[in-house]
Amino acid sequence: MVQYGGDEVAALVVDIGSSTLRAGYAGDDTPKAIIPTYYGYKSQPPDADVSMSGIGDDPSAHNSRIAKMFVGQDGPSIYREGMEVGNPMKEGLIEDFNPITPLIRHALEDVMCIRPADHPILVTEPAWNTPANRERMAEIIFEEFNAPAFYIANTSVLNAFAAGKGSALVIDIGHSEASVTPVIDGFVLRKGLVHSSLPALVHKRAKHVLTQPDQNRRGINLLPHQLVANKAPVDPGFEPQFNVREDRLQGITKSWRNWAENREASEWIHSVASVLDQGWNEQAVAARGARQYEFPTGYNYHFGAERFEIGELFFAHPQHLQAANPNLPKSLPQLISASVTSCEPDIRQVLLSNVVLGGGGSLFAGLADRLNNELNRIFNHAKIHAPGNPAERRYGSWLGGSILASLGTFHQLWISKEEWQEHGRPIVGQRCK
Amino acid sequence: MASGVGLHNECLTVYQELKLGHKYKYILYALNDAKTEIVAESKREVKSKEIADLTSEEEKYKLFLQDLTKGSTCRWGVFDFEYFVEGKRNKLTFISWAPASSKIKERMVFASSKDALRRSLVGIATEVQGSDEDDIAYETVLEKVKK
Repeated sequence: MVQYGGDEVAALVVDIGSSTLRAGYAGDDTPKAIIPTYYGYKSQPPDADVSMSGIGDDPSAHNSRIAKMFVGQDGPSIYREGMEVGNPMKEGLIEDFNPITPLIRHALEDVMCIRPADHPILVTEPAWNTPANRERMAEIIFEEFNAPAFYIANTSVLNAFAAGKGSALVIDIGHSEASVTPVIDGFVLRKGLVHSSLPALVHKRAKHVLTQPDQNRRGINLLPHQLVANKAPVDPGFEPQFNVREDRLQGITKSWRNWAENREASEWIHSVASVLDQGWNEQAVAARGARQYEFPTGYNYHFGAERFEIGELFFAHPQHLQAANPNLPKSLPQLISASVTSCEPDIRQVLLSNVVLGGGGSLFAGLADRLNNELNRIFNHAKIHAPGNPAERRYGSWLGGSILASLGTFHQLWISKEEWQEHGRPIVGQRCK
Repeated sequence: MASGVGLHNECLTVYQELKLGHKYKYILYALNDAKTEIVAESKREVKSKEIADLTSEEEKYKLFLQDLTKGSTCRWGVFDFEYFVEGKRNKLTFISWAPASSKIKERMVFASSKDALRRSLVGIATEVQGSDEDDIAYETVLEKVKK
């Protein structure tokens, strides 16, 4: 049954998030290849699509018209005339499998320079992944990459294990989804699993706040650097002085523009946004002070209250937002309460004493401290374990997979190619529990 | 999802001696250096001088904690916990100790191997998981044991 022990051939670990795809050797402490999950593509002009005629109703027809894909660090971020930007992920799950093979291939073959057919591959999945999705992933790894062995591991369980805990309440905040998963003795309690697009909301709100004028400043133009020809230094708050690359303006697509502006908003969030440790308080905001940030256009400004308002969205939604949109994604305290109360009373204390915080989004400045305060306000004796090392938090699930797949003793769990050929899809659900 | 790490034969032998023969007050288990097997790292006999000299259960438990939390190593401990509720009783208590100061690889293998050990130890009445001293303090554990 066992052909491939982790000791003889280095296994590979592939962790696909909605912002980046992480790949590397099992046993390493950081992934070798970190590439954007966003990819650029150019469509074939419809009239050139002769061979594809007659399949207009096929949902994959859209993708079959993709003439060229641009992936990796030189993918969407390079200006190309007429290039659109896509992302295969939706709510943390792979929605469109077509770009997945090129993305993984780029990470393994172009960045890591290896032959995937030589290595067992461990892939991670979120706790709410569907059986059809994981089987499709197994198919890709075996059929497209010819890998000798495959395993798919749950990110929540990996995060809990990496904290040394068999039982934990795992809070994973990613690029677009935030999830709360109760794990008991290494197994996910499905009924307590909740997730929402909270990080996406925070991001959208940040973009909105920046582009809208307020009493002190005008709306900010999030023009990306690819479209700025040159700029002159200006004083904070003054009208930016820059020239647009007119030659490029015609060639950009709506999806690319949107992606590029979102990236500018993300940069702003990473640089200046923060959350107060004790809830909203004007004095605390004043005490923490404003922070200067400059956009690609040269516009710069001292951001004060705005940079904290954004962070509050993780914990509570302002009433005017809630009134305008009753279906806002649940805030972190709401997610946690929903998760904990759907579990049996006798395990609630175990979960709350072992809260594990992970995911790149959890590195939002001040979030871990605030979460700790909020939890202790709602529940007694809640305790958060958040790795202090940012790499451990950002790549926690990759790292967990890396350690697991590097163990010689783990070999009995791999699904070998022979087993796949003999049993087919059902073996994935049987082996990867 | 488990690491596939197995148990050394001695793990169960000493556990049986504790459970049936009440030979030991506690046993400590840990991963071997290669992280390929769980071994019984150390144990303390009920009749040993260190235990026999101590009069209260709390002191015995504290001695156990000293051994359990030594260094930055992840360990499992089985402690024969004695308490009073309408007379003297005892419960076998299983404690997982993974301090934040331990290495991530060790924590990962430790947590993913626990099931192999725990499932083999039949008759454990209480289970506690800790990563700092508050989690496994005498009062905390006593409260759980009494439930």
